[in-house]
Amino acid sequence: MAARGWSRFAVRVGARQCRAAVPPVRRASGAAPGAAETPPQRREQRPGSGTAGSGPQQVPSEKSESFASMLRRSPLIQMGPAKDKIAIGQIFHIVEDDLYIDFGGKFHCVCKRPEVDGKSWSGSWNTIWTDCGSTTRKYQRGTRVRLRLLDLELTSRFLGAKTDTTLLEADAVLLGLAESKQTKQKE
Amino acid sequence: MAVPRLLRAAAPRLYSTVLVPAPATAPAPVATQPSAADDKLLSEPLSHPDFFNVKELFTLKDLFDARVHLGHKKGCRHRFMEPYIFGCRLDQDIIDLEQTMQHLQLALNFTAHIAYRKGIILFISRKRQFCHLVECTARACGEYAHTRYWQGGLLTNAHIQFGAGVRLPDLIVFLSSLNNVFQTHVAVRDAAKMNIPTVGVVDTNCNPSLITYPIPGNDDSPSAVELYCKLFRMTIIRAKDKRRQSEAIEELRRKAEGN
Repeated sequence: MAARGWSRFAVRVGARQCRAAVPPVRRASGAAPGAAETPPQRREQRPGSGTAGSGPQQVPSEKSESFASMLRRSPLIQMGPAKDKIAIGQIFHIVEDDLYIDFGGKFHCVCKRPEVDGKSWSGSWNTIWTDCGSTTRKYQRGTRVRLRLLDLELTSRFLGAKTDTTLLEADAVLLGLAESKQTKQKE
Repeated sequence: MAVPRLLRAAAPRLYSTVLVPAPATAPAPVATQPSAADDKLLSEPLSHPDFFNVKELFTLKDLFDARVHLGHKKGCRHRFMEPYIFGCRLDQDIIDLEQTMQHLQLALNFTAHIAYRKGIILFISRKRQFCHLVECTARACGEYAHTRYWQGGLLTNAHIQFGAGVRLPDLIVFLSSLNNVFQTHVAVRDAAKMNIPTVGVVDTNCNPSLITYPIPGNDDSPSAVELYCKLFRMTIIRAKDKRRQSEAIEELRRKAEGN
């Protein structure tokens, strides 16, 4: 099955195999172009840059793609429930210890800067314990980080309210820096 | 309390006097009498459905990439936004971008016409995250912005708060139609009271009722708001340039006829 555009969502949950989200054969609502038409694409959309920077990678017939088919192929839908999904985000604002990270959803998430340079999953070269000063240097505006998403929007219905109260924020756990070697290869 | 005021060919809104319906009371010098040429200048754009070609400014893909289709959670949904919602995915509402495209085209076209006719446009947004962006956008197109606390009578009590002879905006553009406590911004209601048309981006938790040209879309993501600001700025600048161009052509034609 053709791998869908990954963008920043790597679907990896716990010990499950790392596999592309295989969408079952779905009957699209409109006359959506067949799945075989669009070749597997790696959409290198940087989080936060909404412009169509991935133009050259698209098939020319994209110009008539319907909203429904665009939506169906989007990483957000392909990801499924956001709980415990790994995503790559980019820090766009820092307030002392709070990092505001945009991962491509409607809202950003806010995570506390880790006190020490946390170990990454694959135990790469940057696991040396260093003093707190280096994390300040590591987590800057524009740094790409790995997150485990918990919720795309923190909302709750309180007693006596007609609608939910929303915090206008997503919820995620900061896992560490995105592996720099891999990101270099992507460029 | 009839205050004499300059009348321009475009006949701006007359406010700040107590119910003076007849603009004829103001002295009308000959220069402000709309001539045939001026009439043509103003009426020609009205005959085209998309005189300023605002459709080419955006595509469905642009809207999609800017995350305009993402709405709030199902529990935050406003009942009146249901027609504009494509569906609900895992509790998150998705806005129908096909409808948004149409609404956005109408809204931009209207904004362009207002700017062409030298109307005053006021941008309002109470989102702190984007207040600087909105103010910069307004400054870039030579229009106005209000992104701070809205005092009660700014529109309805203008002749007392600002003095007599104040000209109110001819169009109010809401880049977010809610205030800081998630209620509809007071200016929506006040603009309706003062007969000022409004254009507003309405998210799934907003009430689109009183807004003249609602644009169903995301108002929380920076990419979406940047896109709207860019579109409004381009539309207004394009309309103003067109006006300058038309006036220059008229000027030349008048000179040629004079000779």
